[in-house]
Amino acid sequence: MRIEAAATGDVETRSYGQAINLALHQEMERDASTFVLGQDVGRMGGVYGITRNLQQAFGSQRVLDTAIVEHAIVGGAVGAALAGARPIAEVQFSDFLMLAGDEVTNKLAKWRFIHGGRLKLPVVVRAPMGATGGAGAEHSQCLEGVFWHTPGLKIVVPSTPDDARGLLKSAVRDDDPVIFFEHRRLYGLRGPVITHPDHTIPLGVAARPREGKDVSLICWSAMVHECLKAAEDLAAEGIDAEVLDLRTLQPLDRAAIAESVEKTGRAVVVSEAVRTAGPAAEIAAHIAEDLFGVLQAPVRRVCGYDTPIPQSAHLEAMWVPAPGDIAEAARQAVRW
Amino acid sequence: MDVATNRLMVLYTEMMRARAIESIALQLVESREFAGFYHPGVGQEAGPIAVCSQLLMQDYLYYAHRGLGYLTARGMDPVEIIGDLLAVEAGSTRGLGAGTVHCVDPARGVLGQGGTLGSCFPLAVGSALASRLLGHGAVVAAFFGDGASARGTFLESAVMALSESLPVLFVCENNGYAVSATTRDTQGVDSLIPRASGLGLESVAVGVEDVREVDEAAKRLIDHARSGRGPAFLEIRSVRRPGHFAGDQQPYRRRDEGLASSEDPVDRAFEDLRRAGVALDVLEQVALTAAQEMEGALAQARRSSKPNEKRLFEGVWA
Repeated sequence: MRIEAAATGDVETRSYGQAINLALHQEMERDASTFVLGQDVGRMGGVYGITRNLQQAFGSQRVLDTAIVEHAIVGGAVGAALAGARPIAEVQFSDFLMLAGDEVTNKLAKWRFIHGGRLKLPVVVRAPMGATGGAGAEHSQCLEGVFWHTPGLKIVVPSTPDDARGLLKSAVRDDDPVIFFEHRRLYGLRGPVITHPDHTIPLGVAARPREGKDVSLICWSAMVHECLKAAEDLAAEGIDAEVLDLRTLQPLDRAAIAESVEKTGRAVVVSEAVRTAGPAAEIAAHIAEDLFGVLQAPVRRVCGYDTPIPQSAHLEAMWVPAPGDIAEAARQAVRW
Repeated sequence: MDVATNRLMVLYTEMMRARAIESIALQLVESREFAGFYHPGVGQEAGPIAVCSQLLMQDYLYYAHRGLGYLTARGMDPVEIIGDLLAVEAGSTRGLGAGTVHCVDPARGVLGQGGTLGSCFPLAVGSALASRLLGHGAVVAAFFGDGASARGTFLESAVMALSESLPVLFVCENNGYAVSATTRDTQGVDSLIPRASGLGLESVAVGVEDVREVDEAAKRLIDHARSGRGPAFLEIRSVRRPGHFAGDQQPYRRRDEGLASSEDPVDRAFEDLRRAGVALDVLEQVALTAAQEMEGALAQARRSSKPNEKRLFEGVWA
């Protein structure tokens, strides 16, 4: 497991969910203008336990239980930021960002620009995403591409406990709106976490959890782990795959993509989001436009199918891109 | 002048300023110097003026699109407002061309406005949450029409404002028409008061024609919100006199609807001031001063220039 830079504090083993909880505690402690709002975030501590003990620590005015009011949760965060607060909103499933579509895409993303840059929107919207547990078509999607398509939003997609912690801390301190996509399949994933309150991980800097020279597996969020498994299988066959974890889509670390693809000459972009007009297509287009000269094979994509995600856990497991799919795409690129 | 007459004079003066800047806006529509839609507020000035002139410095305003009196009464510089119509750098958005929908003045609590109707409700509730958290002691006034009152955002925002007992004043200017549709035809009611009070909002309805009555009602509800008793709803009833936008021929408006325009609050205030003994030349001077102020602002805004292509890329990120 990777830890960025020099560890400036103790390192403890925590789950991805606990790491987010730690970051929330630390940032709320650090800045009295922060507050959390959402459904079941207070008394219950969140349906996934991510906001556990926050209300006990900071009171009910800083950790607000709301009704089922996505317009008011996200719009309320916008209005609070305009008046000088630093809100952290939670929608229970990232699919519900669509219920606050105007607030996210027209208010959060555009309000600063349309008002001449004279207002700022230091808002984080935490959005749990991804297919797991048979949650069904309306509670499982990876919609980061939809919101990446809207200028004005920063898009954070962490893959490890420490990234979730460090990137969330940066997101809270950032003066621009951030949609923070937490992958629900990762909440229980455990790993080393830096606990020092001052340690953050900057937005826009990709990580390279595995170095390789034959093919670049470009990914983010839960797919990082599927790519790492695929890379192990490929290594047994003599293919040396590099795994590039983008960590954030906006800002996008184009330099890291270029460095990796220039070295390997082959790229497979892997996303759980659906294929058509999805985020993988944007990255593939970037590579084709800017790095055509170094490519030794066409850029390949491994993505979720262009279908709604099935409710049945049995079918859901078939729907999610698997290491075998990724390894096969990598082999095709290498053998091109 | 007694206190009541003095207050009426203030309201009359602000209404005349609103009317004067609107005549500039209409002139710019006519000359095509303003390329967007302008939604005239003539005949509805009493609401914006009565409410906005009572807000305190720390308060926040989400204004509506009908007329410009919200902004002038809040103390915004007319050069910035007219500059937004002309899309020049003197405008409050520094050349983005807000029209009348995205004017902004953070120092006066004018936190902008959205182009999607009914989108200000959750923002108003959020600003009230922040004010409570940061101890600003602000009341948030959110203006909208009868049309926007039907948005789901209104329900969600009222629910949150009530649950947190937030100082939000919802101000509904019910002029009977949402573009072409009457409130009765599309919402099944003539007044929004039963709906608002049913939700639990402290609700008062008042006619637009007597600005003193609007002023009284606004004062009562602003006091209610400021004293921590929770959100309130003010319905100001009128009948829209002009079209939806400047140039609207209103083919949808039928003679047999019986929708005569409501009595003009400016005319009414003028007569009441005369009856209270204010001299005619004093009132004429108010109108003249307002017109001169706005003509001067127009001249100043016209001296400003439009931005270059660089402006496209500014203000997206902090």
